[in-house]
Amino acid sequence: MGSNAFAAPPLARSPALLPLALRPYAELVRMGFVDTLAYRLRYYTGIATYFIYVSVYYFIWKAIYEHGTSIEGFDFSQIMTYVAVGWIIRSLYFNNIDQDLATQVTEGTLVMNLIKPVNLQGALIATALGQSVFRLVMLTVPTTLLLFLVFPVRRPASLAHFAAFSVSVALSFFIVAALNFAVGTLAIRLLSILGLLRAKYFLLELLSGLLLPISFFPHGFQVALDFLPFQYISYVPLLIYLGKLSGGAAWRALGIQIFWVLALVALGHAMWQWSSRKITVQGG
Amino acid sequence: MAPLVEVRDLTKEFRSFKRREGVWGAVQNLFVREYVTVRAVDRVSFAIEAGEMVGYIGANGAGKSTTIKMLTGILMPTSGTVVAAGWVPYRDRRRYTRQIGVVFGQRTQLWWDIAVVESFKLLKEIYEISDADYRSRLGLFAEILNLGEYMHTPVRKLSLGERMRCDLAASLLHNPPLLFLDEPTIGLDVVAKERIREFLKEVNRSQRTTVLLTTHDLSDIEELSRRILIIDKGRILFDGDLAEMKKRLAQYNQVKFFLKDRSQIPRLAEVTTNGLGLERVDELTYLMRFDRAKHSSADVIRTLVNRLEIRDLFVEEEPIEEIVKRIYLSGEVA
Repeated sequence: MGSNAFAAPPLARSPALLPLALRPYAELVRMGFVDTLAYRLRYYTGIATYFIYVSVYYFIWKAIYEHGTSIEGFDFSQIMTYVAVGWIIRSLYFNNIDQDLATQVTEGTLVMNLIKPVNLQGALIATALGQSVFRLVMLTVPTTLLLFLVFPVRRPASLAHFAAFSVSVALSFFIVAALNFAVGTLAIRLLSILGLLRAKYFLLELLSGLLLPISFFPHGFQVALDFLPFQYISYVPLLIYLGKLSGGAAWRALGIQIFWVLALVALGHAMWQWSSRKITVQGG
Repeated sequence: MAPLVEVRDLTKEFRSFKRREGVWGAVQNLFVREYVTVRAVDRVSFAIEAGEMVGYIGANGAGKSTTIKMLTGILMPTSGTVVAAGWVPYRDRRRYTRQIGVVFGQRTQLWWDIAVVESFKLLKEIYEISDADYRSRLGLFAEILNLGEYMHTPVRKLSLGERMRCDLAASLLHNPPLLFLDEPTIGLDVVAKERIREFLKEVNRSQRTTVLLTTHDLSDIEELSRRILIIDKGRILFDGDLAEMKKRLAQYNQVKFFLKDRSQIPRLAEVTTNGLGLERVDELTYLMRFDRAKHSSADVIRTLVNRLEIRDLFVEEEPIEEIVKRIYLSGEVA
C-alpha cells in the first residue's frame, strides 16, 4: 500500500466559500438534491395532486361565496389566491424529517448517522433543504404556472411584498423542519409514532392556515394561536403576499418567524439530548 | 503509554416489557405492563493496544454488537467506563467519531439511491479531508478493493460483496486510528471474504490501524487476529492469544482418512473398539477424533493402517469452532 495515502492529518484545504464548519451541511444540501433526482417521476404526479387539491377548494369556496362578496375581509379572488399560493408554498416548505427519523429509529439505520461527526439535527435539516430546492424546480414552478393559468390567482400585492413573502416562506421551511425534527425525536422513546405523525399532519394543515385563513376561526382560538408557531408557517406569508400585512407589521411578523425558528431548533436540540440517552438500537 | 481502548466493568441493561400472548393478553398489555431487565453486557473489562487486531466473538445475542455500539458512542452504558482514543465515546460522540471508522455488515453508511462516489464526496467534507489525501486514498482503495468499476453505480444496484468493499473504503477515507467492524464478512463468498481480509491486514500493517472485529466466521479470526475475546451471555469468557488458547484448550486431534475402496467399509467397525469416535464425511472419507491426553497420533495411525487399507490420511488439530463451542458449553475457561 502506498505510503503517502494515509499521510498526516489533513491540513491543506481547498479554498472555502463557506465557513469550514458549514461545509458538510452544504454538501448535505447537495446530497438531498441529488438523492431526490432518483425519484423525479414522483413530481409529475405531484403537480397533478396539487392541481386537484386547489380545484376542489375552488369549487367549495365558489359555493360559499355565492351568498356574499366578502368573508372576514377576504373577497373571492383573495380567497382563491390564498388557497392556490398556500398550496404552492406548501410544496416548498414541506418535508418528511419526522417520518425519516421515525423510520430510521424503527429500522435501526439511525446508527449510521450516529457514527459520523455531524450534528444530526443540522444534517437532516440540510438534506431536507436540498430536497426543497429540488422541488422548487420540479414541482413549485410548474404548479405555479399551471394554477395561474387555470384559476383567477392574483399577483403579489407589490414587489416589496413579494420580497418579504419570499423571505417569509424560507423561514416557514425552517419552522416546519425544526418542528418535524423535534416531533421525530419522540420516536426514540415511543418507538412507534406513525399514528402521532398522522395526527400532527392534519393538525398542521388546519393550524398553519393552509385549509382556511386563521381569521375565520373563533376569536378565542385565534388568540391562543398567536402564542403558537403554526400560523407562521402558512397564514403569515400568505397575508404578506396579499398585502394584508405591510410595513412594520410585516417586519414584526418576520421577526416572530425568526424567533420561532430559533425556539424550535433549541427545542429539537434539547429533545434530542434528552432522547438520545435512551437509544435502543433495533435489530443487528 | 495508555492502551488505545480501555473498557472497565462495562454493563448495559435493556428494559423491555413482557408481552402476554393472545387477544386477552394484548388487552392486558394495554393497561398493565410487566417489565423485565435484560443484562446484555455484564461487567466487561479489557484493553486494546494501538496497532492490535482483535477478534471479538460470541453467539447471536451474546452481547458483541451491544459492546461495539457502546464503544462507538451510539449507546450509553448503564454502568462502567470506556475510554477510546482519548475520548469517552458516548459523551464526546462528535469529536470521538473523527477518530474511528465503523462498518456494520448488516447496514450501509452509503446513500442508497445515488452513486457511491457521491457518498465519498460527502465524507470528504464531513471529515475535512484535503483534496490530495482524498484523491490518493480513494485511488488506492479503488485499486486494492477493485472499486473502479462501480464507483458511479447507485448503491442499491451493487451486490453485497461490492457494497461491503465500498463501505470499508468509506470507513477508512479519513484514515482513522481505530476501526470497528461488526460482521464485515457476513453473507460474502470466499473470494470476497479473502479480498477484504487481505485489505484489512494491509491497513493494519502499513497504518498501524487498530482493528476490533466481531464475526461469526472463525476463519476470519484465524486469518486476521492474534488475539481473541470470547463473550457469552454478556460476560467475557476468554481474553488472550489465539495460539495460546489452542494450545491450552485443544483437547482433541483428528485424523482424516480416505479408504482405498468400498470393500473397506464393513471393516470400519474394527477400528472403533478402543473407544475412538468415528465421524463420516462421505462414503470413503472419515474423521477419527481422539483425546490428545489419552492417545498419541502415532498409535491412532498405526491402528488405522494395520486394520484398514487406506489411500491417504492427515492429522489435524481440533478446529477452533469446536474449542469455542466447548468454552460456551462450560461457561468458563478452565
